[in-house]
Amino acid sequence: MKHKRILFLSLRIFSATGGIEKVCRILGKALFENTFSGNCSLEIYSSHDTMKHSNNNAYFPSDYFSGFSNNRFEFLNAAFFKGLKSDVVILSHINLLPVGWLIKRFSPKTKLVMLAHGIEVWSLPLGIKKKMLNACDEILCVSQFTKDEMIKLHGDVSKKYSVLNNCLDPFLPILSSQNYSIDLRNKYGFTPSDKILFTLTRMDATERYKGYDRVLQAMALLIKEMPDLKYIIGGSYDEIEKKKIDELIYELGLKDNVVITGFISDENLKDYFLMSDVYVMPSYNEGFGIVFIEAMYYGLPVIAGNKDGSVDALLNGKLGTLIDPMDIEALKNTIEDNFELNKKVKVDTDVLMANFGYEVYKEKINWILN
Amino acid sequence: MCRIAGIINFNWSTEKNQQTVENICHLLKHGGPDDGGIFTSENGALVLGNRRLALVDLSQAGHQPMHYQNRFTITYNGELYNYLELKNQLIQLGHQFSNHTDTEVILAAFAEWNVQAFEKFNGMFAFALFDQTNEMLYVVRDAVGIKPLYYSVKDEQLVFASEVNALKIVDFNWTKNEHWPVFLMAYGHIPEPYTTFKEVSTLHKGSYIKYDLKHRKHSIQSYSFYSFNQDLHVGDNFKSTIRNQIENGVKSQLVADAPVGVFLSGGIDSSILALIADQHKKDGIQSLSIYFNENEYSEKKYQDMVMSKLNGEKHQFLLSKDDFQNHLPQVLQSMDLPSCDGINTWFISKHAKELGLKAVLSGIGADELFGGYPSFQRMSLTRKLSLTPDFLLNIFKKNTKKPFNRIAYLGMEGIKGIYLFMRGHYNVHEIATYLEADEREIWNIINDNPMMGDIKQLPTQNQASWMEFNLYMQNQLLKDADVMSMAHGVEIRVPFLDQALVKTMFSVNANDKFSGKLPKQLLIDSCKDILPEQVWNRPKMGFSFPFSNWMKNNSYLEDLMQDSNKNTKSYYNDFKQGNLHWSQMMSLMIMKTRHEA
Repeated sequence: MKHKRILFLSLRIFSATGGIEKVCRILGKALFENTFSGNCSLEIYSSHDTMKHSNNNAYFPSDYFSGFSNNRFEFLNAAFFKGLKSDVVILSHINLLPVGWLIKRFSPKTKLVMLAHGIEVWSLPLGIKKKMLNACDEILCVSQFTKDEMIKLHGDVSKKYSVLNNCLDPFLPILSSQNYSIDLRNKYGFTPSDKILFTLTRMDATERYKGYDRVLQAMALLIKEMPDLKYIIGGSYDEIEKKKIDELIYELGLKDNVVITGFISDENLKDYFLMSDVYVMPSYNEGFGIVFIEAMYYGLPVIAGNKDGSVDALLNGKLGTLIDPMDIEALKNTIEDNFELNKKVKVDTDVLMANFGYEVYKEKINWILN
Repeated sequence: MCRIAGIINFNWSTEKNQQTVENICHLLKHGGPDDGGIFTSENGALVLGNRRLALVDLSQAGHQPMHYQNRFTITYNGELYNYLELKNQLIQLGHQFSNHTDTEVILAAFAEWNVQAFEKFNGMFAFALFDQTNEMLYVVRDAVGIKPLYYSVKDEQLVFASEVNALKIVDFNWTKNEHWPVFLMAYGHIPEPYTTFKEVSTLHKGSYIKYDLKHRKHSIQSYSFYSFNQDLHVGDNFKSTIRNQIENGVKSQLVADAPVGVFLSGGIDSSILALIADQHKKDGIQSLSIYFNENEYSEKKYQDMVMSKLNGEKHQFLLSKDDFQNHLPQVLQSMDLPSCDGINTWFISKHAKELGLKAVLSGIGADELFGGYPSFQRMSLTRKLSLTPDFLLNIFKKNTKKPFNRIAYLGMEGIKGIYLFMRGHYNVHEIATYLEADEREIWNIINDNPMMGDIKQLPTQNQASWMEFNLYMQNQLLKDADVMSMAHGVEIRVPFLDQALVKTMFSVNANDKFSGKLPKQLLIDSCKDILPEQVWNRPKMGFSFPFSNWMKNNSYLEDLMQDSNKNTKSYYNDFKQGNLHWSQMMSLMIMKTRHEA
């Protein structure tokens, strides 16, 4: 990397556990490692995190980090003045576009790069931000789908758009001979012969596009043939949605087959993946879906929708099965197939790592920033 | 501790790769006098080399490169202080061991945990580990950066070694880093990641190179680092926590199958180490001290006070002007990367070697962690001064008077400007004059290389700690300690940089940490029961070494400067008139001996 002062602006990096925050942590690590060359300096600002949030994180030293504890004025002020002196400013979220736009206005030579993840860039009208998009020198979309949606909604400025797929967290546990914790199976009362489906998602009304309700409907069609089929829905939930889903489970006669776990910490996630047989999430509005590549990392066959960024995560079906996310019958058949040895799509770890490994991601970042 | 080297080259024959590594190892022999060996991969593209200084398991079982499970091979320089603890864990997991070395524990740990093993290692190390099955080579450096590792990756070729000078022998078109004299004059050393060659870099502490031989690709990744936070507060039991951690650090670093001693300068840090180590060794610890005939520099009085409390053998050596005169050329020759210091370590390591010691404890790290430098008091004011508008600071650039020109360093962005203002060796005007260069050019070189962020979100005294730990200690003290001790085949161990203590001190609230009346008050309070009051409550000594006087009448220096250009002669005259510090003169000598002036 040629001599550069890099400023990375984000909303949250450590104080939330979503996909965007995960991407920010990994990008922070990649940028930190670039400073080893002596040719670039790095500052990472987060408007919502406190300084304390960054303590003891494994991704980059907090010496590079400033958390503004929701103090918007201080954040904007510091980001603006630091931005003017920076060669590259990276915005982790479209909501940071106004400050990026302002920096660009006063310092046109500063390269402005924005990450576009998923629904945040297409679900709401952008208003004035749409014009501000022109200030970006580069918009990094997490998938071809995100890129297409951006072009559809905000016009074809395609030379600015490029696709930078998300990658696997380099701190995922190394898989060794040790298997998942037997305690977890016991905790949920699963027997060794139970066939387990898994979806990890926030369960709330705005995220229903993830398709866990359709998985339940497909299960209802299967349960007579496969009475030992179980389904774990992991992740935090809101009470209204939980109530709705509980009712659906009851209606479909699946109350002995479905577990809603609530929040699962990163440390415990490995056990859930390793305990499960198939990861299923027939989503139709996914920006990319880091969870798919994580599930595949743990060796799980994956079923995903073919209408959104999931297509990138499954490498157009090379790594898993893509289906029409609204087609319950297809979903039912694919689940069934994934329990038949000869029809199961086996994850090719080499292909997975060659496309979604951290090292590949870092290489792409360097290429883009240069 | 040893010296290591290695190469991956797909274009050269197996023989040429082997010969190259053997040649490098030959040049590194001073640091590994006990044994040597090389390993060659099946396809001949990878060769690893080792020169061994045996400290743990002195038998042939510790021969390196060492193998494990017919799959992993390592060449390793360093010490792992928690190896017995890790070994027990690994045995529980079913691993078997064939010798008593820490080297084999690293191999087994990697076999079990892959790269996630690295952050479990508490110690000082640099190693290269080859996984034959996956055809991956990992070159790894410890998290504090105690052990050095220099590497070059170009056109799919990787070459690395413990010393830069040894890489010269590689049949490769090395290009001189033309900026190094500027670095040396500005900093007094070559700051990481730079070296005297453009193609050779220092591996960043706490990181590793992963080289994939199948795809001939590499990446460098961080696996561990220390950063400051304010989580801990100094409560009632805190002093005993610190004391325990120092004791544990010393105890674990005394583990060796060869004799270990302690350098005792008479200052607070080395006295604490000597007193604690003495309690934990059956017959006490062997201590080594240097003193001078010149009373104003001699710390003999304090050394005597501490020595009177030690049970182990005590050795005091007079360093005289004649010794200095006789050995100065050797000191300069021992130097790897140019540095303005390290003389003292060279002499004391020589005595350690003569006493038959193989490892010696040193107090490096205490000043940086506990606040022993003047920068801890000056940082707050310096930060305020650095807020002076650029146009005013630029006025100082034009002022050629020493103290004023130095102020101009504060116009540089980030912590670098502050570091150079406080610890800079020469000012830019002096550098430009000496090197006959344009001042703007010198400013540009220093500004851009290396680039550093700001750390102003840290409390000011932690900023000083960051600066001393990551810049001064990293680039100057640890490098000098390694090279000058290894010149005699002696290992320097640094218990104050033990993982637990560093972590704790980085997490203590800055107000609590530096609230005492005296510098390093927390350290003093933690060890007051064993440390004589005269040692911690003594008047400050202005100068630590009588080298200035000795160098003024040094025939070697006189000869060296004879056929110099007018600038060098003029600076030499300045030195003789007392207008240059001896360390500044050292830098000029190094440039002269390396034909840079």
